[in-house]
Amino acid sequence: MEFTLQVNGAQISVTAEAEEPLLDVLRRNGYTGPKRGCRSGSCGFCTVSIDGEVEKACLRPMETVAGSEVETISALGTQSDLHPVQEAFVDNSALQCGFCIPGMIMRTKGLLESNPDPDREEIREELSENLCRCTGYEKIIDAVEDAAARMPAEVADGGLPEPTTETEPISNE
Amino acid sequence: MSKPQSGEQESQLDESSESEPETEEHPFHWPESADNRKSLTDRFAISESAEKDDARKIVTGDAKYTSDYASNFPNLLEGKVLRSEIAHGYVTNIDTSRAEQMDGVHTVLTPWSESVPEKPYTSAGQSYMEPSPYDMRVLRKKVRYVGDPIAAVAATDGRTAIQAMREIDVEYEQLDPVLDPETARSTAAPQVHDSETVENKLPGHDYERNVEAHAEGEIGDVSAAYEEAEAREDWTVVESDWEMPYQSHLVPEPHTTISRRDEDDRLHVITSTQVPYHTRRQLAHLFDVPIRDIRVSKPRIGAGFGAKQSLLIEPIAVALSEAVGRPVKLQTTRREQFFAGRFRRPMSISMKSVVTDDGALKALDMETLSNSGAYGPHGLTVTGCAGTKPLPLYPNTPNMRFEMDAVHTNLPVPGAMRGYGAPQGHFAVEGHIGEVADAIDMDPIELRRKNMVENGDLDEASGITSGGEGHVRRIRSCGLEDCIDRGKDAIGWGDLKQPDAEHEHRAVGMALSAQGSGVAGDELGAAHIKMNEDGSFILQTGAVDTGPGADTAMSQIASEVLKVDPADIVVQPSDTDISPFDYGAYASSTTYVTGHAVKKAAADAADSIRRIGARMLEIPEARVELDGGSVVDTESANSVSIEAVGYESIYGEANREQIMGQASHSTDQSPPPYGAQFADVTVDDSTGEFTVNKLVFAVDCGTAINPKLAEGQVEGAMHMSYEYAVSGGLEFDEQGRPLTTDFREYGMPTTADQPPLESILVETHEPTGPFGAKSVGEVPTNAVPPALSNAIDRAVDVRIRDLPITAEKIAAKLNE
Repeated sequence: MEFTLQVNGAQISVTAEAEEPLLDVLRRNGYTGPKRGCRSGSCGFCTVSIDGEVEKACLRPMETVAGSEVETISALGTQSDLHPVQEAFVDNSALQCGFCIPGMIMRTKGLLESNPDPDREEIREELSENLCRCTGYEKIIDAVEDAAARMPAEVADGGLPEPTTETEPISNE
Repeated sequence: MSKPQSGEQESQLDESSESEPETEEHPFHWPESADNRKSLTDRFAISESAEKDDARKIVTGDAKYTSDYASNFPNLLEGKVLRSEIAHGYVTNIDTSRAEQMDGVHTVLTPWSESVPEKPYTSAGQSYMEPSPYDMRVLRKKVRYVGDPIAAVAATDGRTAIQAMREIDVEYEQLDPVLDPETARSTAAPQVHDSETVENKLPGHDYERNVEAHAEGEIGDVSAAYEEAEAREDWTVVESDWEMPYQSHLVPEPHTTISRRDEDDRLHVITSTQVPYHTRRQLAHLFDVPIRDIRVSKPRIGAGFGAKQSLLIEPIAVALSEAVGRPVKLQTTRREQFFAGRFRRPMSISMKSVVTDDGALKALDMETLSNSGAYGPHGLTVTGCAGTKPLPLYPNTPNMRFEMDAVHTNLPVPGAMRGYGAPQGHFAVEGHIGEVADAIDMDPIELRRKNMVENGDLDEASGITSGGEGHVRRIRSCGLEDCIDRGKDAIGWGDLKQPDAEHEHRAVGMALSAQGSGVAGDELGAAHIKMNEDGSFILQTGAVDTGPGADTAMSQIASEVLKVDPADIVVQPSDTDISPFDYGAYASSTTYVTGHAVKKAAADAADSIRRIGARMLEIPEARVELDGGSVVDTESANSVSIEAVGYESIYGEANREQIMGQASHSTDQSPPPYGAQFADVTVDDSTGEFTVNKLVFAVDCGTAINPKLAEGQVEGAMHMSYEYAVSGGLEFDEQGRPLTTDFREYGMPTTADQPPLESILVETHEPTGPFGAKSVGEVPTNAVPPALSNAIDRAVDVRIRDLPITAEKIAAKLNE
């Protein structure tokens, strides 16, 4: 089937099965920021934003996201111009192997949009949807606190940086 | 780890030490290079928390892991593996005809296929020859656990490959499985391996009793100590048995391999491995391809923890791509990770000790039975480390004994996992020490302080399975006293507020930890560094950064020598075509071994920079030094920038040269890092429910090259150790089928249910290490289980000796 959706601000058309998870379709079409850790919603490595809600892309069949606006980690900053949440993760050494980080950052961004000043308990509760095996979580929680302090009001309200377009096609993933 | 002999596996037990080794062989004072020991103010780049070199590409999603390279190969096929559904038996027939006829299916391989090698190998990513038996085949006619690979499919996409797998019919001749090691080592038990089919067998093997390896060793005479204890009122004998289950690494990135032939018809394997060079050698031997025709590239990898110190799926990926002549990607599913990957091995350890009334340990005796599952990778060495890692905490105990059996069952395959046997050993030893303190009514920290290792001690225990011979080491840095003091302060030892509820009891427990820094006498690290004309550098090392930030630490070590910003040193990820040889990322070796090679290589390059700089300044070389990106005349303070030196060296009038340095580092030293683990727990004595309020680990890792990254190692390891203490373990049904196949079923701690962790770095100086560094990656993985067991005992006087520690177990003991 043919589906049309917006990914990181760009309108794209993709061929996919109706029940195929959004994650597989994103990765096949070059959006490799979301990572595949389980395909059962356990790990959260594929966390993205769908129509403004934080979701695990492996749990959303394509037929449920037709016409939706999807944001992956690539919608945030670039290596030379990081989003405040990304900056906070870098500056707090809140990453090791990095496989969980795109999802963790998307989760954090969603949290701070709905709760700009969470306490540590609230952060722990919200982030429990996403797993990390390397850091022991301490520095990630530090980074989320730090990100809250760094977020300018307009970003915390959900304002987005300019959309970027990913073009690199991927045939097999 | 106590390393078995290379080559033909010889018994390590033949020679016992005849006398105390000569002190001169193990001098306390180590000849260091002049720049190795630096005061805090003298340090240029080390002891700074430099930004991790891959941090920006990770947070932007730009970092590329193996599967992200799929788009580079437009004709890539996807592979899937069909695995045994029975725990023990023979595959008598595989009908692949329906699968082969499906659209999009390019090949279906079985153990009888031509491109599938038949020779035995080991999946252990160890040095040559591996101290692990060659007991597995790429695809298997005899299956030994639920998960053994039987067939493999390559198809245009993953869905088609999965559908094709379902169309393969397998017929088995079933055999009775044996699922526990105690039963397995009786002669009546089903036999997992036929000795005739195994090569490179280990010392003490007895396949008729399913024994993969046996080792034992003794220092002093423990029996004499038991006899004396019987005769004396003031000596006490303490005995207890400890049980540890399987633990999964829970690596975030499933094992992934892309195998293909490049345009030069060389085999190129992009793979999530901790051991690119061992993988290259093992694939070369297995497939009879010359080493020169294989390239192994390690991109970013989604962590290893030992899981990827293994030739896990690479041989199947290679067999598929060679069969179809196209690139093939093979990735395990998460489900497969939970039964067909590698694991921390279950162990039972019996402890027996003798202690005097005033707290002097007279004997420590460990008997270890470890479950080797279906195959033997790392079986001898991991089980040995259950003794040789924790016993050196008490090296002055006059009588010590360690005995081990590694025994096959029809359960999943253990392998290397962060800590490498030490977590199992520490649970037994440090839990037991808590009981010893109880038995003589002594404060557990006082007991430890009386007996624990000190700077200058001669440690024979790390070589106990060889009777001390060849594995004696002098301790030249030990910060345990400080670790204990600072940990006590941080956890509030002796200063705990009891809960208001009468049925709740709060207490703190502790345990010590020790590890090594590389495999003593069996490591090689190498580095090559070249200068660009703008004064930046390309550093090539074999160091395999699995996520902790090894590449960043390497750049800081080079930068400390060259006095340039670490960001000006570009570190290339390991690739066997590009980087110098390295044994790989295991045994806590990278900073200590490869880091030393980097330091020497950078010093080699620095010599050239000084020579050319002096020539440009027209002064003798002895007068210049490197400082802040320049070559400086120490008398006049005139200087030339390193950039100017770079341009001069390549484009100048005089003798042009590429400034570069190179070095290898190999050592028989493996200094232990130390640590003290503290756990604060509240236990409800009406239900057994408990809450861990906080965990603290104070570590002596020598000099922390990058403190934030070192803390990250401590915190991540403590998470893993906490999970082992309270939630770990795989479950199987009575037929050996896996029941735990998902992160959440497994009980991996999340932000919501993990206690706060505090890491404390205690600096010491290890003279044999680069700038005084030891290792840090594994030592904090060892000690939450014993610290928590000790804390619970102090809280409610109940001793839990089997993992995981659960409310049910505590409640059952409270009700006894």
